[in-house]
Amino acid sequence: MKLLMHASQINGLPVVTVQGGEDVAEVRDVIYSPEAGHLVGLTLNKRGFLSGRRREVLPAGAIHAIGRDAVMVDDESRLVLPEDAPDDVAHPGADRNVMGDDVLTESGASLGTVRDLVLLVGSAGDVVGYEIEKVDGGRGYIPLPAQLAVSGSALVVPDITEEFVRDDLVGLGAAVDDFRARLGLR
Amino acid sequence: MTDSFRRAGGRKLISRSSAQDLGSVAHLLVDAERRQITAVVVGRGKKARLVDWSEIGGFGPDAVMVSDESALRPPADDRERLAADGKLELLGQRAISELGNAMGTIDDVTFDPVTGALENLRVGDREVPAGAMLGSGSYAVVLADHEDPLP
Amino acid sequence: MDAVNWLVLVLIVLLLAALAFVVIRRRGRAGGVFATRDKR
Repeated sequence: MKLLMHASQINGLPVVTVQGGEDVAEVRDVIYSPEAGHLVGLTLNKRGFLSGRRREVLPAGAIHAIGRDAVMVDDESRLVLPEDAPDDVAHPGADRNVMGDDVLTESGASLGTVRDLVLLVGSAGDVVGYEIEKVDGGRGYIPLPAQLAVSGSALVVPDITEEFVRDDLVGLGAAVDDFRARLGLR
Repeated sequence: MTDSFRRAGGRKLISRSSAQDLGSVAHLLVDAERRQITAVVVGRGKKARLVDWSEIGGFGPDAVMVSDESALRPPADDRERLAADGKLELLGQRAISELGNAMGTIDDVTFDPVTGALENLRVGDREVPAGAMLGSGSYAVVLADHEDPLP
Repeated sequence: MDAVNWLVLVLIVLLLAALAFVVIRRRGRAGGVFATRDKR
């Protein structure tokens, strides 16, 4: 049974240092690699309603944990200048909004379009599923394998994903382990 | 014998040499890593002064005994200035687990009045050992993972 | 125009400038969730 959260909940969360207990920044963008099944990093704003953007970025490897109320880092030095960070986090040019991407099974059936990512609470950015808008217009949740193929602007998932579409995060949490076990046994 | 931050707040500081009233406890400054009270903040605003724990003759249940007025000193660095302004006060501070989940606010902190060592934190409706404190600052106190009731 | 009208005009311009600042600053802070395309 896993505790899950939406990636869109991360936008605006404070970045807090474990050792210092200080809110050193705020999350602006969440950047995700479908192929890796994992966040690659976060871009940041300064704290304060009218403060500007913060130049430093936070690569996923430097994150201690992402929770429902804060993104935790060991200390402020984990925030790095874009020139010292992996390309994917530093250069927004390669990014595109994942929302609205089509989710296709390997056999070519559409399960719907992506509305949000679902992450494991307390991890450093493990993406375990998607919230989708189903073809019939309703909301659903699907588990993801550890790696995912991207084809054009569509995301390709294993055929058995169709059996694991759930209605809510609780259902998804219960389904993730079974789903991955099924993939392993295939 | 155990004392607590709530009970200690407002307690008078008395000079041992002159029996003079030197003010009252406004805040207790803590070193999170050592789980130890390091100084007592007396007074507020520009008049706030610090007394190092080592200068305290006895932290009694009714009064804090200090050698004399010279034990009171102004804040020496940024962290002490934050403490003097009450920004590092543990009472009422937000508690977050190292996994990033809010755990409530700190209702009270117990400590050994002889050594100044922190004993337990009362967070929400739970008691957490001071050893679970990983860090403390102006935004939050960060508590170790095993105290997080969620994951 | 008399002095009061000038004053009102200046205040309105300042108010609009402040609002523009707030809008531009808040939009600069807006974030989203983005996917990268691995280089092949």
